[in-house]
Amino acid sequence: MTRDYAPLRALFTDAGYAFVEPPLLFDASVFVELAGEDLRRRLFLSTAADGTELALRPDYTIPVCLQHLASGKARRRANYAYLGPVFRQRRDEPGEFLQAGVESLGRTDRALADADMLKLALSAVATLGVAAPAVRIGDSALFAAVLQSLDLAEPWRRRLARAFGDRDRLKALLARLASGAKAPALPDGVPAGKPAALRRAVSDMLLATGLATVGGRDAGEIAARFAEKAELARGNRHAPKVLTKFLAIAGAPRRAAAAVRRLAAAEKLDLDAALGDFETRLDNFARDRLDLSKLAFAADFGRRLDYYTGFVFEMYGREDKKPIVGGGRYDRLLSLIGAGGPVPAVGFAIWLDRIGAAR
Amino acid sequence: MSAIVIGVPSKGRLQEESAAVFARAGLNLESAGAARSYRGRIAGMPGVEIAYLSAPEIAREIGAGAVHLGITGRDQVEESIPDWKSRAELLVPLGFGRCDVVVAVPRAWIDVEGMEDLDDVAGDFRPRHGRRLTVATKYVNLTRRFFAGHGIADYRIVESLGATEGAPASGAADLIVDITTTGETLRANGLKVLADGVILRSEAHLVRSLVAKTDTKQAKALEAVVARLRG
Repeated sequence: MTRDYAPLRALFTDAGYAFVEPPLLFDASVFVELAGEDLRRRLFLSTAADGTELALRPDYTIPVCLQHLASGKARRRANYAYLGPVFRQRRDEPGEFLQAGVESLGRTDRALADADMLKLALSAVATLGVAAPAVRIGDSALFAAVLQSLDLAEPWRRRLARAFGDRDRLKALLARLASGAKAPALPDGVPAGKPAALRRAVSDMLLATGLATVGGRDAGEIAARFAEKAELARGNRHAPKVLTKFLAIAGAPRRAAAAVRRLAAAEKLDLDAALGDFETRLDNFARDRLDLSKLAFAADFGRRLDYYTGFVFEMYGREDKKPIVGGGRYDRLLSLIGAGGPVPAVGFAIWLDRIGAAR
Repeated sequence: MSAIVIGVPSKGRLQEESAAVFARAGLNLESAGAARSYRGRIAGMPGVEIAYLSAPEIAREIGAGAVHLGITGRDQVEESIPDWKSRAELLVPLGFGRCDVVVAVPRAWIDVEGMEDLDDVAGDFRPRHGRRLTVATKYVNLTRRFFAGHGIADYRIVESLGATEGAPASGAADLIVDITTTGETLRANGLKVLADGVILRSEAHLVRSLVAKTDTKQAKALEAVVARLRG
């Protein structure tokens, strides 16, 4: 199917985004290191003569960010647009398909940048004939703020933050948090409450099994986490209740924000900063004449990639189960690929191949 | 009519045990020509061809539809055939070739008892060490499915060709997914199996391909062999 993408290209160009075309072929480890092993089975892989595993790009975001890093200062402002083929192993859809989108890097006025992004995405799908897509929005920064303001062991905060975006897993973890678990048993001959003795025992075990000199987890790390586990094992009845209430908040964004505020007041949670950012973003949406009542917020909506840090959104066509647009803020990505610190970044991708069905 | 193809393990214990399965069913395997041939026949069954292959090859060929029936491990079927349930049917467990596919970590990891602990370790690994946690295995697909089922995403597989159990000590990977029968080899390498780390309890099975094509005559020949082997 051919389609005229000239209006879409003109829209991005007029909005100040410069079209780029990064390579198709990359060292696969770039993607696997960032997105994890689960992505690898969706990559189209090949092997170079020297044994390097190569992958066809599965999206544009990582290639565009790599190009940005290679061509100047990481924190400079830059606006990129793209339209071209990406490659993923998908069950019921072709492996090669077109994506278009933008990446906005280096803007520190985050709430405004988020709003610009959503507005541009709506205009973009409009050029493709999708006038009123369903829009879901979420904000992992709100969840992070709730975690931070609850009385929770740090490892539990990390566990729950990692599971954000996966409803079932989060639910299972909260049940575990409520019930608690058995504390781990100390190795033979190590008395309780003697961290140095514990570390020595672990160190001896590493030595005895030939693992003392290879990189990886050392005695200090293992002993520290062992101590941490005792804390993890203690049940916590209060935090899961509050988190469950928070995660159930959904609906029109203003009402949802009010519900979060009520929960914060009732449970004495300090969410002012995160809620402030959330509401400023909504104000900006309103200023852009977006009909807020058309946006569906869900407190538990997030992306399970640890470089996404805040606002996320998805758009759906009338009958579609799969999103036609996915976007969000990923301030951690550039630092993970070598920027030497966080760089504000927000963008979205349109699954052009799904739009035909969505109209 | 072209012959139906039965895959039989070509070496080691599996070969001996498989030959015994055929013998007990009153089916005599004959070599097709030279003594060390990779093709054979069943005496008195002209429509049947025996292909001597390695256990992973048998699974792959069953999945590809090039072999109609075969003896191979359940671990091979689940590992080597994409979407295996739609392509292969495990007909009869044969009681030999038993092994468990397990997740094993260094014994010195006293803080890691189950997959949940491993999830914590994996999640913290990159911030701490600047690289992802690595898992050495020959069972890439089983590992991915099992880890995904436990919500673990922050790791990397290092495909292992030789002795997987040595990977942690050589620094090739942090932990392994491998087969074990008694656990002795793992213990000797300073490794322990996680409490909920048994991915699969495997044994040799008679396996039928659901994608290999057969005409009426071939289907009949296949049924006859299956009926004999079922005993």
